[in-house]
Amino acid sequence: MPHRLNPFILATASKCIGCRACELACAAAHIEGGVSVGSLQAPLSPRLYLTCVGEMRVPVGCRHCEDAPCAAVCPNAAIYRTDRGVQVDESRCVGCKTCIVTCPVGAMEMGQIWENGKPVMRRVANDNSPEGSEMEPALLASKCDLCKDRAGGPACVEACPEQALALIYPDAIKRRRNIQAALALKGTGARAGEVL
Amino acid sequence: MSVSSPIVSIDPLLCTGCRRCAEVCPVDAIVGTLHQPQSIDTERCVMCGQCVLRCSAFASPFDETISDIPAIRKERGLPEDDSSTLFAAHFRVDKGSVSSMLEDTDKISMVQCAPAVRSSIAEEFGLAPGTLTPGQLAAALRRLGFDLVYDTIFAADVTIMEEASELLERLESGENLPMFTSCCPGWVRYMETAWDDQLSHLSSCKSPQQMAGALFKSYGAEIAGKQPEQIASVAVMPCTAKKFEAGRPEMQADSVPDVDAVLTVTELADMLKRKGIQLTSLQEEEFDAPLGLYSGAGTIFGASGGVMEAALRTAIAVTTGKEVDESGVTFTKTEEGISRATINVAGKTVRAVIVSGLAHAAKLLEDVRAGKADFDFMEVMCCTGGCVAGGGQPKLLPHVDLQDAIQRRRESLHVHDKALPVRASHRNPSVTALYENYLEKPLGHRSHTLLHTTYGEAAGGHE
Repeated sequence: MPHRLNPFILATASKCIGCRACELACAAAHIEGGVSVGSLQAPLSPRLYLTCVGEMRVPVGCRHCEDAPCAAVCPNAAIYRTDRGVQVDESRCVGCKTCIVTCPVGAMEMGQIWENGKPVMRRVANDNSPEGSEMEPALLASKCDLCKDRAGGPACVEACPEQALALIYPDAIKRRRNIQAALALKGTGARAGEVL
Repeated sequence: MSVSSPIVSIDPLLCTGCRRCAEVCPVDAIVGTLHQPQSIDTERCVMCGQCVLRCSAFASPFDETISDIPAIRKERGLPEDDSSTLFAAHFRVDKGSVSSMLEDTDKISMVQCAPAVRSSIAEEFGLAPGTLTPGQLAAALRRLGFDLVYDTIFAADVTIMEEASELLERLESGENLPMFTSCCPGWVRYMETAWDDQLSHLSSCKSPQQMAGALFKSYGAEIAGKQPEQIASVAVMPCTAKKFEAGRPEMQADSVPDVDAVLTVTELADMLKRKGIQLTSLQEEEFDAPLGLYSGAGTIFGASGGVMEAALRTAIAVTTGKEVDESGVTFTKTEEGISRATINVAGKTVRAVIVSGLAHAAKLLEDVRAGKADFDFMEVMCCTGGCVAGGGQPKLLPHVDLQDAIQRRRESLHVHDKALPVRASHRNPSVTALYENYLEKPLGHRSHTLLHTTYGEAAGGHE
């Protein structure tokens, strides 16, 4: 069934114990590697962020906003809406960070992107270098992509030992709540002849 | 590397206090309240490293509360350019000391690797759990620079010779029964910390790691024409407690340790990668003779029940003269983590127990202490499933089915056993040569000096 509203990963703070398994699974799902931490071929760059406030532990990530401010402010059209959430095209990103500033939940980061076992590089000016510039790993917009290319769905949801994370479809939830509310109303209502 | 640094510890800067490690600790050694950094009760800890495998609290590059990652690397003795992921629960890294040994041209380096290493290290190179790579492991160790690539499994075969003889001797005399295996340093440490009044039940055998190390620096030194102190003895283990075991004062001869350094599977894989050695694309090579030749019986030491099966193969042959490839004895699971069988050996009925997972041993030990033990011989492996599940094994990602991976590693050791030409320890020609040329006989004078020990002295080493 096509969805009118973007899905997103919802974390239940009351269930979260702060183990970071979601962050680990997320980061691993976005780089080359096998089953073990040691087999991963790039540094870990998670796309949701365990946030600790006092005793509370909960990972925060992208809500895939319908009117995504990150997409609206991106000067290079690197962020765009799809029927599978708000996505980033790293090849268009210049690392201007406007998206970080505008995101209402802090879902955006500037991360290293690795391709074929090497970080994507950028050229930066350096007067001390013979060429007047040098290469360094580029930091590019990075955020939850709902694991769009992963067969098993979002890695964080699968990894959470407390089932504190879920991929939710807000319109489906709304519809379900409507039906539940309707059923609850069944027995109530006006008495015969009564005007409310 | 300082010997005083703890083998297993939890970094308070990284620990988020989720206490998932406490769920897997077999001895309740993880201390702390939820959401607060945890610490390890070193009086109880057996250094099995299960907490290290379980921990997912890594140093995220985006967590501003984890500010000084270079300082953490330095504190852990990691090189500045190391880029491995840092987790809260971690073990002491000995890569640096092994690198120094390999660079020391005055020494001849001898390496051994435990059976379970060859069924898991390929995971660190992207292959499926349980992929068996013994020949590539030998080749990789040679590329790394070890002069002689020996094998712990050879020493596992020697362990069987010694331990089977010891069991038969104890059955004869009726003393110190039931006898417990002593291959697993986590189990031995547990006996010392929690059951020190029952230590006489432990076999006096050193573990295969320590037997191998002791033989490297005696028999191996003789073959190489070197003095014991001219040998760098390195072990590659699926285990963190083996690091502790190697440092025990009992495990040295005239202040020369049997084993100079222990690497885990993850440490070895990292060293190989840093040298550009792609294990899975190497041509297979043989382990070096004589201390690298092994039987199928020694191979299955890496899986729970394997020491028992290996001992039975030899015990049947020694007592009945009948050579068997497999004992044919089936153990029945009587409760979680405990399997039993009754076997007839040399006209005596031997009641045998296999314990898989340290947490299951306590009830049996209560019976032993009360004089009510209904068994004669007990194999205990600290990690559930055996060394294939050890704390030095590849750290699997959260979504990976751990039990399935352990089962695959176990199966691959059994496949390896079946494929080997010699499947019983006493038929390993290098083992018979060792006894003919050097040790004379099991439990003989040289065996006693090199291969046996006593447990229970305050061993130190853990803080």
